[in-house]
Amino acid sequence: MSDTWLMTNLRAVKGRAYPRVIGASREPSWIFFEVALPLLTVAAYAYIYKFMDAPAAFIGFVILGGAMTAFWLNVLWGMASQLYWEKETGNLQLYMMAPISRMSLLAGMAVGGLIGTTMRAAATMIIGIGVFSITLDLSEPLMLVVVFMVTMIALYGMGMMFASLYLLLGREAWHMSNLMTEPIYLASGFYFPVKALGAYAAVGASVIPITLGLDALRQLFYPATSGEYGFLPIEVELLILAGLCVMFLILSKLSLDYMEKLGKRTGRLTLRWQ
Amino acid sequence: MAVTNDLRTFKNAAWLGWQMEANWTDPFLFATYSIVRPIAGTLILVFMYLVITNGETETAFFSYMYVGNAFYMFVAEVLFGVTWVIHDDREHFMTLKQVYIAPIKFYVYVFGRSAIKIAIVSIGVLITLAFGVFVLGVQVGSGGVDVPLFVLSLLLGLSMLLVMGLAMGGLTFLTAKHEGGINEGVAGVFYVLSGVIFPITVLPHWVQGISMALPVTYWMEAIRRGLMPDAMSEIAKGTGLEGLSNLELVGALLLSAFAFLVLSVAVFKYADKVARRKGKIDWTSAY
Amino acid sequence: MPPAVETKALTRVFHPKKKKEGKSVTALAGVDLRIEQGELFGMLGPNGAGKTTLLKILSTLLLPTSGKAYVAGFDVETQFQAVRKRINMVSGGEISGYGLLTVKENLWMFTQFYGMKSQLALQRIDEMLDQFGLADKKDEKVRALSTGQRQKMNVIRGFVTDPEIIFLDEPTLGLDVNASRTIREYIVDWVGKRKDRTVLLTTHYMAEADQLCGRIAIIDDGRILACDTPENLKKMVKTSTMLKLDTTHLENKQGLSSIRGVEKFTFTDNPENNMTSLRFVLEDEAAVSDIVSSVIAGGAKILGLRKTEPTLEDVFIKLVGKGFE
Repeated sequence: MSDTWLMTNLRAVKGRAYPRVIGASREPSWIFFEVALPLLTVAAYAYIYKFMDAPAAFIGFVILGGAMTAFWLNVLWGMASQLYWEKETGNLQLYMMAPISRMSLLAGMAVGGLIGTTMRAAATMIIGIGVFSITLDLSEPLMLVVVFMVTMIALYGMGMMFASLYLLLGREAWHMSNLMTEPIYLASGFYFPVKALGAYAAVGASVIPITLGLDALRQLFYPATSGEYGFLPIEVELLILAGLCVMFLILSKLSLDYMEKLGKRTGRLTLRWQ
Repeated sequence: MAVTNDLRTFKNAAWLGWQMEANWTDPFLFATYSIVRPIAGTLILVFMYLVITNGETETAFFSYMYVGNAFYMFVAEVLFGVTWVIHDDREHFMTLKQVYIAPIKFYVYVFGRSAIKIAIVSIGVLITLAFGVFVLGVQVGSGGVDVPLFVLSLLLGLSMLLVMGLAMGGLTFLTAKHEGGINEGVAGVFYVLSGVIFPITVLPHWVQGISMALPVTYWMEAIRRGLMPDAMSEIAKGTGLEGLSNLELVGALLLSAFAFLVLSVAVFKYADKVARRKGKIDWTSAY
Repeated sequence: MPPAVETKALTRVFHPKKKKEGKSVTALAGVDLRIEQGELFGMLGPNGAGKTTLLKILSTLLLPTSGKAYVAGFDVETQFQAVRKRINMVSGGEISGYGLLTVKENLWMFTQFYGMKSQLALQRIDEMLDQFGLADKKDEKVRALSTGQRQKMNVIRGFVTDPEIIFLDEPTLGLDVNASRTIREYIVDWVGKRKDRTVLLTTHYMAEADQLCGRIAIIDDGRILACDTPENLKKMVKTSTMLKLDTTHLENKQGLSSIRGVEKFTFTDNPENNMTSLRFVLEDEAAVSDIVSSVIAGGAKILGLRKTEPTLEDVFIKLVGKGFE
């Protein structure tokens, strides 16, 4: 593995991330579609908690969950479905022909998606906090950053794995992403503490990195609620998330290699409209 | 003759809609797919409720929230369905221009294509309600069902949603890229402002004024009063519309629906004209 | 020095995903080919002949079913990374890149997949945009380009990484005369500048292959039927006589192939002006009078009759027994 190899692949990451980062500034309409729309759901759920006289922390839980939907949607539509769309537009064959590791392409997609989506999620958070006048505990900033970063690496690792697996799908890809929206919001506890699902369901849902990541972030932002509503101790959640990082990155490499081989054997890498 | 042609257009469009909705997979998977999403969406609310109330679901408010959310599926899916027909035909299948220039009524074609979505979502609503009644103790039928009120408001509401969907579809002519964005936004506004899952009384006072202008607010109230009159009178904090009699409620629904009908037709005609002037009927986003 | 491209009994069969979806299709059936470094080599064949399949295998996107393929001496199946460092490909009508990026940004993005330093890449992109007459479009979004401009951008994308071997799959497909000429001139100029550069061009435009290529392989149904310089290919039909005959609509053409001295013939009916155009490869010029008699007996009038110089199309008709379109 030479420096040149490393530099080539880092450049590929930068190249593939670029359109995603620059896209946000080129299409300002995202502010409406990707910030205002999640805020509507957040507002509806916040009001229902208000109507039920729920503890104030629940409004914060909902806003945080609403912001995190941006990442999940980005993983579904911007990662999982992406290689499929690249195939449809003809880009995939150009990517596959380039003298780089396929992983750097996926990493570029992930880094670009993550940067763009963080901006959107932050906007949702800031507006939500402002509109509903909530206060967050920021006494452990380092831990917050670490939990967030590890969650994101695991989540986008999962997205990278999905990206290759989706190549197996044709028109079903769209439906698959659609199907993984509300059910995952439910399973991962986007709008309520995942502990409410019961221990077995929560353990099952923990395979989706956002489940534990969100739970840990909620515990950090609202330490007082940790005992009653937190699923596992933050340190344990962080450890599991780190394990998921490794697992998904390995699985994504394996599935990508498998798909490339399969694609080359069957000709599917370049066939459109299957 | 014209009616026969319209019926044929409607029937063929509905058949086409069915093929597009269902032929991508086997019937079992399709049925699962059609049911899982709405049920999951409903369960999110159920768990939100449970976590606060520690497991008590046989309350008037739970039924209010549950039934409202179930019928909201119509709002989301009809608005989405109509616009998606236009988006899908233009962007993916690239057949919109052929349909548009064919000697048929375009809106009849769009309604035919959407009809199948309404049929599918109706099954989703029924299953959700059945789950609520039998598993969670939702109080549908408490105090009997006011059938005339329910049927009248259901039909009125669905027609209103179809026409609003067409207006959104017209706007889709002009905004190629954002797929379901606009209708999602409008549907989202209804979700927050129309007393779907919580009474509008919890909203800031000035926002309640907007709620009172939206037909979906009256529709939701009328549907619930039709299905569960007793539970509705038990909502302790009031729904914000408790001052209206059933007759006044239907009158308000009719009036606001008519206002939205006029607005929707105007929006569609304007969007249609602009789209033709700017050559956007057969536009694709291409990126 | 290894050949730029070499294939040995290269075969590719496509199987349907499900049996009910049809039979297997043999896209390449034992192709043997050798292209030396520095050649501008053409593959000429109708749609579905196997040209694109061959390019996909050579560009590491598709595996052969059997046989071997080497690019710059490397096995495309096992040494694909080494192959990828040396190649690039441009297809006609491709829609690569992202519509929200500008022309320059799109091109830069693709250079990054080849590890080019940004400064060098941007400098080279500017030069090439200038050469292709696209300098004023560099900051425009790709979605605003015309078909011809877009294809010029695609061609720049292929050449900007300075590959040793470039595969061009119908690069002028659907373009107007000017855009086609710009691209053709660039290709000839590029390959002529250095001896270690190779172009493999597929096309179904006869004149393009004739004008550009040093050698041409004629391919049909996955088989190479002939491979030589355009001049030598045309010599294959030199001993024959080419005859072009225009008539009013000729209903029955069956008898023409059995006329003594007719080696092959093709025809085109043009319903717009009610004409039939016939093209014959004759072994014996004496057949002309029988052809004329047969046409007149068939109730058609002769509108024009002339002998023609052999073209690659005549070669194809002789080899395959049918025209191109």
